[in-house]
Amino acid sequence: MKLIELKEVNKTFQDGRKTIEALKPTNFSVEGGEFVAIIGPSGSGKSTFLTIIGGLQSPTEGEVLIKDQKFSNLDEKERAKKRFNEIGFILQASNLIPFLTVKDQLKLVNKIKKTKLDEQRVENLLSELGINKLMNKYPSDLSGGEKQRAAIARAMYHNPSVILADEPTASLDTDRAFEVVKILARETKKQNKATIMVTHDERLTEQCDAVYVMKDGVLKNKQEE
Amino acid sequence: MFLAWREIKYSKTRFVLIIGVVVLIAYLVYFLTGLAYGLAQENRMSIDKWDADGIVLADESNLNINMSMFDKEQMEEIEASEKASVGVAPSVVQLENQTSEESKVNITFFGVDKEEFIFPEVIEGEEFNKDKEAIANISLKEEEGFEIGDEVSLAGADLTVEIVGFTDNAKFSVGPVLYINQPTYQQVRASGFGEREEEIISAIVVRSDAEELGDVNIGSDDLELYSISEFISNLPGYTAQVLTFGLMIGFLVLIAAMIIGIFIYVLTLQKSSILGVMKAQGISSAYISRSVIGQTFLLSVMGVFTGLGLTLLTGLLLPAAVPHQYNFIFLLSITALLITVAVAGAFLSVRTVVNIDPLEAID
Repeated sequence: MKLIELKEVNKTFQDGRKTIEALKPTNFSVEGGEFVAIIGPSGSGKSTFLTIIGGLQSPTEGEVLIKDQKFSNLDEKERAKKRFNEIGFILQASNLIPFLTVKDQLKLVNKIKKTKLDEQRVENLLSELGINKLMNKYPSDLSGGEKQRAAIARAMYHNPSVILADEPTASLDTDRAFEVVKILARETKKQNKATIMVTHDERLTEQCDAVYVMKDGVLKNKQEE
Repeated sequence: MFLAWREIKYSKTRFVLIIGVVVLIAYLVYFLTGLAYGLAQENRMSIDKWDADGIVLADESNLNINMSMFDKEQMEEIEASEKASVGVAPSVVQLENQTSEESKVNITFFGVDKEEFIFPEVIEGEEFNKDKEAIANISLKEEEGFEIGDEVSLAGADLTVEIVGFTDNAKFSVGPVLYINQPTYQQVRASGFGEREEEIISAIVVRSDAEELGDVNIGSDDLELYSISEFISNLPGYTAQVLTFGLMIGFLVLIAAMIIGIFIYVLTLQKSSILGVMKAQGISSAYISRSVIGQTFLLSVMGVFTGLGLTLLTGLLLPAAVPHQYNFIFLLSITALLITVAVAGAFLSVRTVVNIDPLEAID
């Protein structure tokens, strides 16, 4: 099943009198259990692409569907709601809230959904990622790799369909970076998520099921190149 | 509240400082309110003690009871459901065996009739039964060491009165009141002026059963009837004092709101990248805003109540000579007002939260 699908999506910006096409019309989809990498130089439109998938900005034309349901055409409030339920973000500098312990980062999801914290699920998820002993630590007490693993836990915890990872290894050394990507690949399969990772480091794409290259707003499957 | 409380716990120093500022402002507001109220009370206490509705003064007196003076016989012409005569005379007294300047006390004599309703209730000792006996406000015992049986001499007159009892809540123009009978009052008033034939009083206090003193008839052109509230607000300096304090307290409350508002605003700006990430994750502006406002509420409650505690503690330690008094309703409304304006100040930050673009969290 296609968890996320882009139909003829493009994005243009006005820069003075010039119209810049940041993303040329693109068709793209990711299925459950599929781990996709998007590589490309900076300024190629990778971030634009990711933010459109994540519903942080609307496409100029075309539409984004999540599980065959409208997403990009929803109003901002509805989109935020859907984003909260269906998308897990993992960002460069980690998306952890500095004043919450690892466990509280997850508990926040329950607080917003007004549900009870599922202790068992927290325990399982964190042991799976090898950070269950750090449950009561603040982000500032964690190493870079641990932070990213906690960020993965946060992104996975509310059981979204789609995981969007924006340069998740940017602040890590090579060994740690490989480890984080490996965990991401493993969890994608295990929990049947559609994971899209944006990176500029081609070596990290070994674990991926498909690799796309973004260049000047055009997205191409690497094998076609 | 989840986020709000966790953040306070995490950045303790920062929030303790903010709470500290709130504590100081609240403390100042409470303290000033106590002083203002205490001072106002000491101006009017003895008048409130009358529990009267109106007061009749000499027309010429311009509402100043010290300048009002008329013949007691005019009382008979006044129709009211209850009436009482009072003679008022400011004076300086001293315990008889003392001579130092410090032992002189400014007081006000109230000449009253034992049968009339403004006669004070004695809480210690007994009522006066003959001339030259006085009932004093209890503050004279607490602050000046007056005791029952003490002879008190009047400055500049060859007259002494004996303290036979004490009453409470009897202060006029921030000084204690000495109640004496009316014949003695005549002597006090006449001292320095020579004897008079008619019996002089300062005012007639009336109680009324009708609205706006409708059933009171004074029957004389030389006299004028005023309501007690009008009389109180025209006590020398009273209104100016209440207004000055009121203005200061009002501004302080406003400043408190602004300071807290600005603190929270700066904190919100500092956090904007984290808030951006939260919004990118789909956490709504409403949730974040509620958390910011909830946090302000927590901070102001902690600060204001600590300030209240400090104020009450100070109240216990303060010497009786400082006119301060706390009124439950005032404390309650100041507390509610401070917390409300602080929370209102936090709404300044809501716009910032709404305007944070989650896109910036990604770029």
